[in-house]
Amino acid sequence: MKGSRILLVDDETVFTENMTRLLTTRGYLVTATDNGEAALRILGEKDFDVIVLDLKMPGMDGITTLKEIGKLGLFAQTLILTGHGSIDTALEAIKLGAYDYLTKPCEIDDLVNKIEGAWGKKNEEKNKDTQEKIQKVVESPSSVFDLFPKRKG
Amino acid sequence: MNKSTHFDRDDPQEKKIHYSGLYFKFIGLTLVCSLVPLLLVGWAINIHYKRFAVSRMTDSFQTLVDYHRRIIESFLQERCSRLRLISETHSRDILTQRANLFRVFEIMNREYGSLTDLGVIDDHGKHLAYVGPYDLMDKNYSEALWFGQVMEKGIYISDMFSGFREVPHFVIAVTRAENEETWILRATIDTDAFRSLVEDVRIGKTGEVYLINQEGIFQTNPRFSGQIMENAPFPAGPIHEGIRVYVSKSDTKETQQPFPGKIVATLWLDEPRWMLVVMQEYSEAFNEVNRANVAILVFLHLSAATILIVTILITRYMIKLIRKRDTQADRLNRQLMQAGKLAAVGELSAGVAHEINNPLAIVLTERQILLDSAEQTPDLDDRFRRQLTHSLNQMDLQIHRCKRITQNLLRFSRRTKPSIETVDLNNFIIEVIELVEREAKTSGIRFLSDLEERLPLLLSDPSQLQQVFLNMITNAIDAHDGKPYGIIHISTQSDDQNQGVRVLIADTGSGISSEYIAKVFDPFFTTKPAGKGTGLGLSICYSSIKQLGGDITVKSHEGKGTEFTIFLPYRPPLNPNESMPEGHESVGLGKS
Repeated sequence: MKGSRILLVDDETVFTENMTRLLTTRGYLVTATDNGEAALRILGEKDFDVIVLDLKMPGMDGITTLKEIGKLGLFAQTLILTGHGSIDTALEAIKLGAYDYLTKPCEIDDLVNKIEGAWGKKNEEKNKDTQEKIQKVVESPSSVFDLFPKRKG
Repeated sequence: MNKSTHFDRDDPQEKKIHYSGLYFKFIGLTLVCSLVPLLLVGWAINIHYKRFAVSRMTDSFQTLVDYHRRIIESFLQERCSRLRLISETHSRDILTQRANLFRVFEIMNREYGSLTDLGVIDDHGKHLAYVGPYDLMDKNYSEALWFGQVMEKGIYISDMFSGFREVPHFVIAVTRAENEETWILRATIDTDAFRSLVEDVRIGKTGEVYLINQEGIFQTNPRFSGQIMENAPFPAGPIHEGIRVYVSKSDTKETQQPFPGKIVATLWLDEPRWMLVVMQEYSEAFNEVNRANVAILVFLHLSAATILIVTILITRYMIKLIRKRDTQADRLNRQLMQAGKLAAVGELSAGVAHEINNPLAIVLTERQILLDSAEQTPDLDDRFRRQLTHSLNQMDLQIHRCKRITQNLLRFSRRTKPSIETVDLNNFIIEVIELVEREAKTSGIRFLSDLEERLPLLLSDPSQLQQVFLNMITNAIDAHDGKPYGIIHISTQSDDQNQGVRVLIADTGSGISSEYIAKVFDPFFTTKPAGKGTGLGLSICYSSIKQLGGDITVKSHEGKGTEFTIFLPYRPPLNPNESMPEGHESVGLGKS
């Protein structure tokens, strides 16, 4: 979906630069970073639809970053992109909540397909969440206040 | 390099020489350690026993000689004493009266026998009286040797002599001094009684006892060596004191040995100077010893033969055992080496694949950027665009080729636990054949399957098995490269004894040379041209089958074909890692 916001996390800067260019050409809004800590910081500041995450990175690795992202409770879907062929790690990432995985080198079309899938999933989950909240308000109108952050006392 | 310790274990000739050397070393050592002490002990016992026997026999002969000496001496002394008693108790006058002398002669002969004649002789050698069968009254003995001797010593015993009757006899003479005159009482002794004392002695079958005088003339009849009064076959030698015993084992005529092949004891009597000889053949005297020796020798030979046979049997058994153990150790070593190689290559592959994948990903993105740019630039020269498109397509092709290689490498090193399911191996094989049949037909290859009906279901990992059979069959197809047609024969059979199933995949392809057969399961070993094979296919098959608790072996005839035998257990081992070293589970598809 054009206009989707993508966060690209990979320590290979040439790869992220090229990928940013390719994805931007295809209408995505891409932010790139080369490490997990920076990714978490950026996620705290901005909303994203899809996160494309490398598993093997210096400092905070992909799995730890994924766990931290999980703690943020975002709707954004994570797509694992790894040069390492360890399917076990990729499967572990999926268990931890990642949407899917792709192995490098991968065709841009394959990545776009996966991004589209992830975007769809994100929207689906977001819609589902909204439905649940509406349902909750319908059932208990007073709960409408829960939708807004409480003022700290 | 020391050949004895570092032999080439793969060379059967070297192995044969090694085991043969070991065999003879064992036998040599065991024989030296057992036979040498046995022979030493046997030899020592033999020597000791012989010495003991010689000593006993010498003692026995000494006792015998001493005994006979006493008998002979007491006989002679008794005769001498009687004569002396007569001479001392009767005066010359009485005895010279023939009637008196005759009476004495008669009494003595009646009581003791053995007197041939009796005479009284004066100190001039003239007979004063004589009783006996001859007419000797006129005989004068003044010149006779015995006369001088008896006048000098007072008593004399002569050697044997034949005398007038040609019968061997000897003389005893004693002197008596009476009224300043000396006269002699002389008696001739009948030798029968005396000789019987010596001649009747019997020592075994070959023993004899006799007397010889200083001139070496027999004084009694020897049993075998000759006749009385004849010369003995050996000289009497000088007079010696005491008893001498000669033991001569050899019966050859040695110059140093006076009595070859005999045991002989000699003793010189005091009076007369005769030598008493007791002799026996060595072989008879030491018969018992010889028998004992033979018994010892037989025992020794039997013991040695027993030891030899037992040693050979034990050594053979031990060599067989060592050979078996060596073969097992070799097999285990080869498996360990193979597994070690696979493990090391697995680790390496994962690292290399990762390091290559990242730059490949970048190249691919660069290609995509170029492609995008070309699409967004409509006024590109057509020729350039065609070249660019061609180059970018080629880049794509080569990147995907690289990716295929790295994926194979990664599959090779993947650490995935097998997912165990029930597998109908026959159906499974039919499915795999169907997958590759189209490709095979284009190469002119036919499949023949001989699948055992009612083959037991296996518990195994279908995905790993699929990879294995695909690899094996693809390899079999590739093995017919250059041949217009071929057959791949696949059969299954249950092996209840080993609780598993055997799958035979035989092809009629080019075969594997004996030079390469040991390397076919090595990672990265391939005989295919560059770009056609990674050399991982059979390695992956090997590690997969091992992980599933099975085994894979290969037989090949170069130019005729290859046969792979895969054994799969009915149930995989509880801990799959037991069959493979840690970190060596892998599945993968590739061509070797």
